[in-house]
Formats: sequence, C-alpha cells, structure tokens
Amino acid sequence: MIAMLLATSAVASGVSLLVGRFLCRRRVGWLLGLVPAGLFLGFLALHGTIEAGQTITERLAWAPSLGVDFSLRLDGFAYLFCLLVTGVGALVVVYADAYLVERSPEDRARFLTLILFFMTAMLGTVLADNLIVLFLFWEATSVFSFLLIGFDVDSPSARRSALMALHVTAGGGLALLAAILLIGVVLGGYSLTEVVVRAPELARSPWSVAILAGVFIGAFTKSAQFPFHFWLPNAMQAPTPASAYLHSATMVKLGIYLLARFEPVVGAVPGARDALIAVAMITMLVAAFQTIRAENYKTVLAYSTVASLGILVMLVGLNGPMASVATVGFLLAHALYKATLFFCAGTVIHATGLTKLRQMGGLWRFLPVTALASALASLSMAGLPPFFGFISKEFLFEAQIQSSWDAVPMAVAVLVNAVMVGVAGVVTLRPFFMGAHRVQDVRHKEVVGLLLGPMILALLGLVISLEPTWVNRVVLLPAVMAVYGQRVDVKVALWHGVTPMLLLSAAVVGIGALLFVFWVPLHYRLRTFTRVDRYDAEHAYDALLRRVRAVARGIAERLQQQDLRSQLGVIFFAVVAFLIWALITLGRGPRFPASVGAVRVGPALLALVGLAGGIAATWARSLLAAMIATGLAGLVAALTFLVNGAPDLALTQFAVESLVVVLLTVALLALPLDAPTTRSPRARRGDAALAAGLSVILFIALLDMAAAPQQNTVSAFFGARSYLDAFGRNVVNVILVDFRGFDTLGETTVIALSAVIAWSLLGPRVSIEDGSGGARRSVFVLEFASPVFFWLLAVLSVVVLLRGHNQIGGGFVGGLMGALAFAIVALTHGVDRARKRLRFHPLTLAGVGLLLAVASGLPGLVAHGDYLRHVWIEANVFGVHVKQGTALLFDVGVYLAVLGTVLAFLFGLTREAEA
Amino acid sequence: MITDSSGIIDVLAEGLAIWPVVIPLAAAALTLLLRRWPTLQRSVMEVAVAMMLVAAAVLLARTRNGEAIVMKFGGWGKPFGVTFVADMLSAMLCTAAGTVALAVAIFARADVRARRRRAGFDALFLGMLAAVNGAFLTGDLFNLYVWFELMLATALGLVTLDRRRAQIDGALRYAAMSMMGATFMLVGIGLLYGETGTLDLVHLSTTLARGEPSVTSSVAAYLLLAGLLLKAGLFPLFFWLPASYHTAPISVAAALAGLLTKVAFYACLRVFVLVFGVGAHMPVVSGMPPLFALLAAATMLVSVFAAIAQVDVRRLLAFHVVGQVAYLVMGLALASWQGSAAAIFYTVHTMLVQTGLFLGAGAIGRAGGGFDLRVLGGLIREHPRFSVLFAALALSISGVPPLSGFWAKALVIDAAFRSGTPGAAWLVVAALATGFLTLYSMSTLWTQAFWRPRARAPHAARAIPVAMVTGVALMAACTLGLGLAIEPAVRLSRAAATQLGAGVTLPNGTTSAGASGTVP
Amino acid sequence: MTVLYAFVAAGLFGCGLYMVLSRHAVRMMLGLSLLTTAVNLVLFQAGRIRTAQPPLIPEGAERLGESADPLPQALVLTAIVIGFALTVILAALVLRAWRSQRTLRSDELRSAQDLGSPLTPGPDLDH
Repeated sequence: MIAMLLATSAVASGVSLLVGRFLCRRRVGWLLGLVPAGLFLGFLALHGTIEAGQTITERLAWAPSLGVDFSLRLDGFAYLFCLLVTGVGALVVVYADAYLVERSPEDRARFLTLILFFMTAMLGTVLADNLIVLFLFWEATSVFSFLLIGFDVDSPSARRSALMALHVTAGGGLALLAAILLIGVVLGGYSLTEVVVRAPELARSPWSVAILAGVFIGAFTKSAQFPFHFWLPNAMQAPTPASAYLHSATMVKLGIYLLARFEPVVGAVPGARDALIAVAMITMLVAAFQTIRAENYKTVLAYSTVASLGILVMLVGLNGPMASVATVGFLLAHALYKATLFFCAGTVIHATGLTKLRQMGGLWRFLPVTALASALASLSMAGLPPFFGFISKEFLFEAQIQSSWDAVPMAVAVLVNAVMVGVAGVVTLRPFFMGAHRVQDVRHKEVVGLLLGPMILALLGLVISLEPTWVNRVVLLPAVMAVYGQRVDVKVALWHGVTPMLLLSAAVVGIGALLFVFWVPLHYRLRTFTRVDRYDAEHAYDALLRRVRAVARGIAERLQQQDLRSQLGVIFFAVVAFLIWALITLGRGPRFPASVGAVRVGPALLALVGLAGGIAATWARSLLAAMIATGLAGLVAALTFLVNGAPDLALTQFAVESLVVVLLTVALLALPLDAPTTRSPRARRGDAALAAGLSVILFIALLDMAAAPQQNTVSAFFGARSYLDAFGRNVVNVILVDFRGFDTLGETTVIALSAVIAWSLLGPRVSIEDGSGGARRSVFVLEFASPVFFWLLAVLSVVVLLRGHNQIGGGFVGGLMGALAFAIVALTHGVDRARKRLRFHPLTLAGVGLLLAVASGLPGLVAHGDYLRHVWIEANVFGVHVKQGTALLFDVGVYLAVLGTVLAFLFGLTREAEA
Repeated sequence: MITDSSGIIDVLAEGLAIWPVVIPLAAAALTLLLRRWPTLQRSVMEVAVAMMLVAAAVLLARTRNGEAIVMKFGGWGKPFGVTFVADMLSAMLCTAAGTVALAVAIFARADVRARRRRAGFDALFLGMLAAVNGAFLTGDLFNLYVWFELMLATALGLVTLDRRRAQIDGALRYAAMSMMGATFMLVGIGLLYGETGTLDLVHLSTTLARGEPSVTSSVAAYLLLAGLLLKAGLFPLFFWLPASYHTAPISVAAALAGLLTKVAFYACLRVFVLVFGVGAHMPVVSGMPPLFALLAAATMLVSVFAAIAQVDVRRLLAFHVVGQVAYLVMGLALASWQGSAAAIFYTVHTMLVQTGLFLGAGAIGRAGGGFDLRVLGGLIREHPRFSVLFAALALSISGVPPLSGFWAKALVIDAAFRSGTPGAAWLVVAALATGFLTLYSMSTLWTQAFWRPRARAPHAARAIPVAMVTGVALMAACTLGLGLAIEPAVRLSRAAATQLGAGVTLPNGTTSAGASGTVP
Repeated sequence: MTVLYAFVAAGLFGCGLYMVLSRHAVRMMLGLSLLTTAVNLVLFQAGRIRTAQPPLIPEGAERLGESADPLPQALVLTAIVIGFALTVILAALVLRAWRSQRTLRSDELRSAQDLGSPLTPGPDLDH
C-alpha cells in the first residue's frame, strides 16, 4: 500500500510536467493539486492501523548483497510527516498556481513538477526504513531544494543561494553517508528499526562518536542549526510557495526527524544530549537576535523558523516522555502556522511588490481574508489560547520542567518564545493593521487560489485545539509512541488549571508583548551592531570558498605553468623515491655475482666506447654531433649483440640505427643545428644527480639479477620445440612469428598505424593523397651508385625475409632493408622518384601488411581453434621440396607494414623538410 | 575451410577471446585501404565497434560462471606462448570499453568530419580499441607492454588529428612522459624475466611466490608501479594528462578519458594483486599499500582543487579524470578483496561517466560556441533535454544516489571502513572532502554554463546534433542503469575480485602446451 | 663481463635520463632513443650473457644446443622496432612544433598550457 502510494507519487510527478506543458496550460494547479490531495486521503485511509499503534512495513528486494533493500516502514511519526507533506503539498500546489500566474505555462509546469518531485522525495525519506534508501531520498530533497531556490535562474542572488543551500545540505549529506556506512559496519545492516533496537550496541562500538557526529552534521545542515543555519534565510530567494513548503513546513524538519529516530542512540552515548541542547540554544539565541534585526518580511519568518527548529532540536535533546510529546506537538503546530504566515507573506509581496516590512501597512483594507489568516496564525504562534500553539507551548515547558535539566535551557526557551510572540505581532499587525498610510493600492485583489491554503491551515490551528480528540488519537498519540518507544497518554486540553507551565506561558506572552512594543527601536538598535555580521557563519562560508578558490588557483599555477623539463624532473624524483622506498621496505641487501668472470678485451672496449658515445651525446653542443654520438651508442649496442650470440638483434639494430640516422638527418635539416645549452649549471648538476641516482639503483638491480640463478624453463622449451613443432631453425624468429607471434602482431600494428600518424602529421595537408615532393637535392657520388645500392638492398631484403625462419633474418629486418633501399633513392633523386619506384602508396603497403598479418592467424583458428597457430603445407614444386606455412604469410605482412611505414615517414619528413 | 554454419559458429566460439582485439585490428587495416572514402571508413569503424561490443558481451555472458576462457596463440599453452585469459574482470571491462566506444562512435558522426577521417581517425581509433581490449585480455606481461605502446602511439595520432599548435605541444608532453613510463615498465619487465625466466602472469605469480624476495624483483615491482601509475595518471606522475587531453578533438578526448587511464589501473590490479600478491602480503610489495594510500589521497585533493580553478570545461574535466582514478587506487591501497571489488565497480562506472562528461563538454562547446565558462551560459533554456542528461552525469560523478557514482564512492568508503588498515580513516576523510569539492566544482559548472544567462550578446541558439545528444544520452542511461541494477553489478565485481585475488584457474590446467601436446 | 655490461647499460640509462631532462626538444628526443638502447641492453642481460653461440638449430640437429637465451632476443627485437616507431613519431612531432612555433625550447612551447588556461585572462573561443 505505502509502496503503491510512493510509486503513484513518483509517477504522477513525472507525468505532471507533460500535463502542465501540453494538456492543461491554465489553472493546472487545481488539477495537479489532486495528486497530493489524493495521496493525503490515501494515507488518511490507513489511520485505523496507525491508531492501533501498529507499523506498516513493506519490503522490496533491491541489492541484498549490499544489505540494501527497498524497505518502507510507516509508523506514527512517519505518518504525521506523510499527512503534513501531502496535505500542505496540496495547498502549496494550488497556491503556487495562483502565485505564478504571470509566468509562462512552461515555467509553471516546471515549478509544480519540481514541487511534486520534492514531495515524493520527502515521502520516501520518512517512509524509508533502510538507511541507504533514506539517504537516497534525503539527497534528492537537497537537489530539488537546489533547483527550487534557483528557480529564477536569471537572478544572481537566486543562483548563489541555491548553490549555498546545496553545498551546505549535500556536504552534511556526505557526513551522514559516512555515518550510515559505519552503522552498516557495526550492525551489519542498514535497517532503521535495527538501529533503534540495537542502540546500546551502537553506543558501545568504537565508532559511536563518529556515527553520531555524522548524523548530527547531517541533521544540523538540513535543519539549519548553528553554524549551518545561514543557508535557510538565503533560501528565501525561492518563490514563496517553495519557501512555505520546503523551508518552513517540511524539508527543514527532516533533520529533526532523523534526530528523533536516533534518539535512543543519542540517549545511550554520554554527552550527546548536552551537545544537542548546546547547539540548539546557540541556534535559538542567534536566530532570535537575527529575527529582530531582519528587515524583509520573509527573512523575519526564516529566522523565526530557525529559532523554532532550534527549539525542536532542544526538545529531542531533552529526556522524558513529555519531550517527545512536545516535539510532536510543536512540530505540527509550527508547520501549520508558519506555512500560513509564509503564504500570507507571499500574497502580500505578490500584491504590493514590496519586500521590507517597514514599507508595508494597512493591507487589511485590500487583503482582508489574508489578514485574517495571518492573524489566526500569529495568535497560534504567539501561543495564546485557544490556539494549538498555546497547547504545544504548554507541552514544551512541561517537558523542560520534567526533564533533568537546570534553568539555563528554560531561560533561553522563555526568551526565544517571547521573541516568537513579538514576531507574531510584528508580521501580522505591522503589514496588515498598522501604518495604513504606507500602502495606498495593491496590484491585484485576493483570489481563491491564494486564500485556500492560508485559511485552511490557519483554521486547523484553531480547530485542533478546540476539538483535539481526533487529531490526538490519530496523529499525536501514535507519533509520540513511535518517538518515545512506548505509549504516553497525552492530555490535549486548553485548561489544566494554574500550572507552572501556565505561568511560564504568561511570562512569555508578557515579555513578548513588551518586545513587540519596543520592536522598532530595538530593531534599529540591533542593526547598528554591524560588527557581528563579520563573524557570522555566512561570512565564514564565503571566506572558506574564497580560500578554496585561492588554493585551487595556486595549485593550478604550480601544475600548469611548469615546462616539460620540470615536470619530467618531478616524475624522475618520484621514481627515485619509489625505488628507495622499495629497497627500504624490502629490508635486504642485493646479491652480487660470485665471480666477475673472464673479461673479453675486445667486447669490453667496445662496450666502453658505447658508453663514451652516450656521455659524448650529453656534452655535444651541436645537435648533429649529439645525434651521431647517440647513433654510435646504438651501433655499439648492435655490435655487442653480435658478439654475444644475437646476430638477429645486431642486424635489426644496425638497420634501425641507420634508418633513424637517415630520418633524423632529414628532419634535422629543417631545424637549427646549433642548440646552446638550455639549463643553468645548477640545474644541470641537479639533473645529473637525479639521473645518476636512478642509474645507480638500476646498476645494483642488474648486478643482483645477474647473481640470481637463471630460470629458463620457457626458453628451454622454445629451444626444444622450435624445429620439431614450429619447423624453424632460427629460434628467435620462430619465437617472433610463432611462440610469441601475438606480440609481433601488436607491434606490427604499432608500426602500421604510425604510418598513419606520419602521413597526418607530416607534409602539407592538401589531402592525404597529396604527394608533392620538393625539388630533389642531388648528391653526385650517390647518384651513380644509387641504382646499384637500390637493387642490392631490395633483393637482399627479400632474401632476408624468406630465409628468416631458418637463418638470421625475418620480416622486420627485411622490411627495414627494403626501406633503406628506397631511402637511398629518395636521398639521391628526391622523393618523387622513390615514390614512382614504389608504385604503391606507403599507407596501402602498411594496410595490406597489417591485414595479411591479422589474416595469417585465421587458418590456424579454423583448423585447430588456436589463433596464429601456423598451418604448414609441404609440397614438391619441380622436385624442390618446399615446406611453407602461414608463418611466411605473417612474416610477409610484417615486411610490408615495416616497409610502408618507414617510407611513409621518409617521404613525409622529406616533404616537410623541403616544404 | 569450414563452410557449414555450425562449424563457423564453433570457430567463432573457440576464438571468443580474440574477437574484441582481432575485429578492430582487421577493421583498422581495412580503413587504411579505404582512406580515400571517408564515409566507407566510418561505416567500417561503426560496424567493427558494434561487433566488438557484441563479442565482449558474449564473453561476459560466458565467463560469468567464473571459468576463464583462454586463447592459446599459436597453440602454445601457458606459460610458453602468449595467451589471452578472459576472466570476469577482463570481460566486464571489455564490455564497458565497447559501450564507451559505441557512444564515441555515435558522437563522432557529428564531431569527426571527412577531414579528420582522411587524417586517419578511424584507423587510429580502432587501433586504440584493439590495444585497450588486448591489455584487458592478455595473460602475458610483455604482451601487456606491447598493447600499452600501441595505445600510446594511436593516442598521439588521435590527439594531433587537427595539427593545431596546442595539440602538437600537448602531444609532445604526452609522448615524452608516457615514453618514460613505458621505459620504466620495460626495464621492470626485463628484470622480472631475469629473476623468474617467465612472462606469463600466472606463472610469474607462482614463481615469485616460490622464490625468495630479492632486490631485482622489488626494483622491478616498483619500476612497473612507476610506469603504470604514470599511465594511470596519478599524482605526481600525471602531468601528461592535463597537458594534452584538453587539446584533443572532443571525441578523442572522451575516448581517452574513458579508456586509457583505466586500462593502466586495470594493469595495476593484475600486476600487483595477481602477480605480486599485494593482498597476500608478499614481502616484496609490503611497502605498496601505504604508498598507494598516500598517492591516492594526494591525487584526489590536488586534482579536485586544480579542477576548481579551471575555466575551460575540457580542462576541468581532465582534472576530474585524474581525481577519479585516485578513488580506484584507494580501493587498491586497501589490499582487501572488498577494496578490489569496489575498485573494479568504480572502474566500470568511471569509464562510462568520464566519457559521457567529455561528450557532454563537446555538446556544450557546440551549443555555446566555446568551452570557456566565463562566456558560456543559458544552456538550460536553449537545450533543456540535453541539460537533464548532463545533470545526470554531473550528479553521478558527484556521488548522488541512485546513480552509479554514488555506489562507487559508497563501496570504496565502505571497503575502507572494513579494512583494518591504519590510514583508512584518513583516506575516507580525503575521499569525502574530494567528493564535496567535486560536487562544488560540478554545481558551479552547472550554474555557470546552464543557469546563468550568456555573458555575450545571445546569438541564435545553436542546435546540438542528434548524434551528439545520443552519445551523451547513452552514457547517462548507462550510469543510471548501473546504479539501479546495482545488485548484479556488485555481484559481478565481487566475483571478479575474488577470482583476481585467487589467481586465474584455467579449465585445463595452467600448463597446456601447443602443437605437440605435453610439456617436458 | 656481466658487471661491465651492467655498468654500461646503467650508464647509458643515466645519460639518456640526463638528456631527456634537457629543455631542447631534440636533445630530449635523442635522450629517449638513448634510453631505448640502454633498455634493450638491460633486456638482453635478462637472458644472462654466457656464450657467443647464436640460438640457431644447426642442420641435422633437432634441438637447440648450448646458446644464448633466445627469448630476451625476441623481446629486444620487438622493443627495438616499437622504440623505433615512437622515436620517429616524436621526431615528426618535434618537426611540427618547430614549423608552427619556431622554437624547440620546452619552456617556450606554451600553446597547450595557455589554451583555455584560467591564468590567462580573457575569454577564448576556439571551436
């Protein structure tokens, strides 16, 4: 049933936008008002169960493995909220329709939709039993409040206030989330019922303080308690219907709701009650002070709301059954009269276009009914009999007397309630009945839509107290029972005889009357204390944001303004730090090779030459020299490979190095070759130290590795299988095309795709097919030699490719050699000649190559179910025994890809250099 | 050749694990040949992406029972040949990557015109997708490195697609730093091979577990850490990311933001949880969890502050990419299965949302004629529907329920609370603070770009092409769907995490040789 | 010998790092290719340096006898080629940078960090 109601609410909210935009563009409020009204009746229909003191629970599975199920629970306290939310909701929708009469139908539809969505979120929050679900709706109310406060998106102050409200409430939400997750850790579940039942367990847990802190912050931000109260007065930027609904009657009460739910835990944790009461008292005093200082009609109401919320928090903090009674009673009373007052304020502001109280007066002549409603509400707020406000105030004082608390909260309560009395007088008498000369005319007369809400609520405040039995039975008693945990018999009556409470009420009214009389001078007097504004929370908030932005800017500068060098420096520094940390945490020294081993003089010298090349490269002033030195190191590496049993590597490294030299030369031709040092000596020393640090660690690691016993099961396997199963004698090549062919495929892709990059980066960009080679530079000696070289290399490359599987060679080396062949042509006769010689577009070669390589894996997949498993065919062609397989196809693909790419770069760079 | 359809089905099924890689590879090659015909290129790319996604989804469906699907390339089984091991984690991330790719491909219809396609967008994009999936699927350390290099190369090409100055600059930094990262990785791999004589991830983990902890393996581990964290974009190694992402064409930026750093993080999971056993308290990596925690916290705060300072939507989002990765590393820092599970879910979430946000930025740029928040405004009036979509994504990254972002944050924080690690409480504080600042940054963006009226004289509202909105909508729908279908998602993440921690058990034993059957 | 090679590899690595830290883009590029060389040496040593015998299965034999470890060689081959590709891409980028901005000092190549930077006043509309 309740799940149904909630779902209906959600769906209806969704539909309402369409209704408002397309179906019924005028008077839509009366139609949409039926949604909350219907829900109200729906909840009313449940009163039997609630009266009987039972709770309705419904459970839908959602995320059991997280302990999160969509469980709803309707007890007396939630019931009170549901009735408030839906009942006031209906009136707000009707009121808003009349209030937003000048707005476009779209805007009105948008507003009403937001209101209805908000209502849904409220219902969800109070109905949820699972804390995660509760949090879901809780956050939703924050978001909708954000959207409603900022409804007038064109007004900067509205946007600012919306952001403020969102940051405060959602920030508190994060604290609440942490608390909820901790509850999950402690209790192993998120059920609110569990929390109440197992409160002592929670209180005993080491997390108890953290949990309560989170809950408190969540509640205080939502219910505008000091120091988070400042967002609420600013929230008055929202259209008045929203203020009446969210920021007085319902949403701001959620904090109270939460605290009341956690009351058992609060009671069980020492000091928690004190904390609540302390915060509440500060809030009440600050709010009372600001109420008197406030000028705007709505601001006065807002601060008085903050004060009332303070009272409610204090009541939760107090112990004893009467505290619960008072909480419930005051909650209801406040919702009724404060919403009414907001409605009236809205009507006044709407009709006069004025916002400041002092500008208003004598409005009863134009808005008689509104004046009446306001008067009734004020009397209730002032706590005068026979209004419900009076009864709730009696409860309040009774609670205080009962509870084991000294006089301070009592005094504060008396004072603040007196201020309430004053406010009640001010907000009704001044605009409506005094200073008739101030306002001569209003924009429009009252309309039904603007009257329905205030009148109904105001009259309820009277009716309830005159005929309390029904409300008491259906709403108050069950609610109190739900909060307090057991049945409390509440005597709702106007006259209990002369009790201390009555005397206190009398005192309050007396002081309040005085306050009202001296309101104006007091108001101006307090306004002169401008210094306090500098210390209030709102300024702290602004200062905080300024600080955040300043810090942010500073960080952004430090991050963005560095050049590449310093960023790399930071990275290297971090890496060194990592490695040192590694060695520290490892807690053991390196191993060293047992013996240095026989030093072969030739290779040793060779290696040292290579190192010298590297060092020279760092010293070289001219880029060309640096490049040659680098190349030298590369060539030495190649020779080192050669003398250590890696001819394949040697060959490839040779080819690569020479190609790199060729390509870089071409590129460097376009650059200034003389590059003076770019680093100050100090910077150079620092860099040197950094580099040295890293290389020392690497050296140690290499020694340690060399000392480790070699484990070569894998390569032994390759050695054993290479010929028998992969039919290749060159193990390295077999590894490349077969054992680890997939690496090679990936690498071929790298190669092939860098051809694309070359083509998109280099050369004038008329179109990708453009092949404008520049004027050819002729190098005479080479010119004669070049055809020879070309064919020599071309043929050689193919040979290398074909024999690769059994002797030294393979696709890469082949491709690189082929590229070298064309490189020579390009260098001697210019790019055009080379391209003519090539006939194909380099990218085509690369593409075909890649396609071949990829495709060569498929036969294996089809035949054996293993991709890249090569399929071999043996045949006798003209008596020659040929054994070839898809491995060759693969190698050819690699060959083409490499060829195409290198040429793409060659041509591109040359064109670029010559462009 | 097999002709009858059932046989083909068998082949498709047999090679299931390779299709997410081989399909884009083949398509990339094809687009190279079709470079004269941009529209054809586009169709090839789109078809390939769709097929890739389907393949990944099938893979996910097949691996859900916890059994890894293995492809032995060349038929040489573990640990000798390169293998693909598609377990739940890999399959999940491949599917997410496929979804991201689909959204980008749709968006690109409106964003990537013929000129960019002629410049090779499709080929490079497909190549990058192949690399991403390859990295997700491979069971071999060196193979992983190869895919990373392919990712880097293609990313460089994609970033510089327009040859704008800024793009070249960004690409230079990107290239320099990432190549350093690759260098560190490669040295680490070399040392690791020297110590263990193998490259197969599972074999590595068993060998390392058997062997003594040594300087070699620990230096190797931390070099790999440096390389991977650099590519994951973690403070203080992350400079390449904010230096380049904002310069790229927006479709490219979206793809990079959604894919690359997450792949690097995935690699961290594989290498440090599976191979080095971070969860299992191996002495070699005993120092890693605190390091992870420290870096994660620092990254969160630094990046979110940096984001707040930004006025260019793309830059702002780029810093949020960094910040979100920090949450993943936080999960890893907890060294518990809950931590890994949370991180896994978070990875999927952030892949989708980051892409969505960047695509949204593209739409904002199209509608508002720029990316500068000082100029933008009024979008909510001009494009209400798009505004709602963007709001969903912004709320998701801010961690508002029921969107996936909320669950992601909640799971990580919950895992932190449950892990007894000492610093966990501080990590949570950092995470919450960052969450708040993220909300601050996003809500400011919202009020500036959407609510506030335009600073400039309002030109005629520019339309946002349907393709763009569709791309954003897809991602928004994903984050909402993921948030509502949290149960299966979490189950999957947890199963994947446990599978990861336990090491992958292959259906037919870890050492199954190829052509000739048995192993000596 | 091992120690020597380790020393040389580490030394080249250091030189590479030092050059990478230069502000001049070309030096940085050369530094990276130097690093590639150094890393290849490291990979090569991972297979230990024992013999000059290449991993070729002689005619008639069926299995590989005593020889250098073939696997690292394959890895190095792959690494060489990838390194080559990236170096050349980098070269292309450097050339581009020079063409468009006439400088190769990394502290003067600022257009990326200025694009939409909050620190440079004034709205920019590039799109």
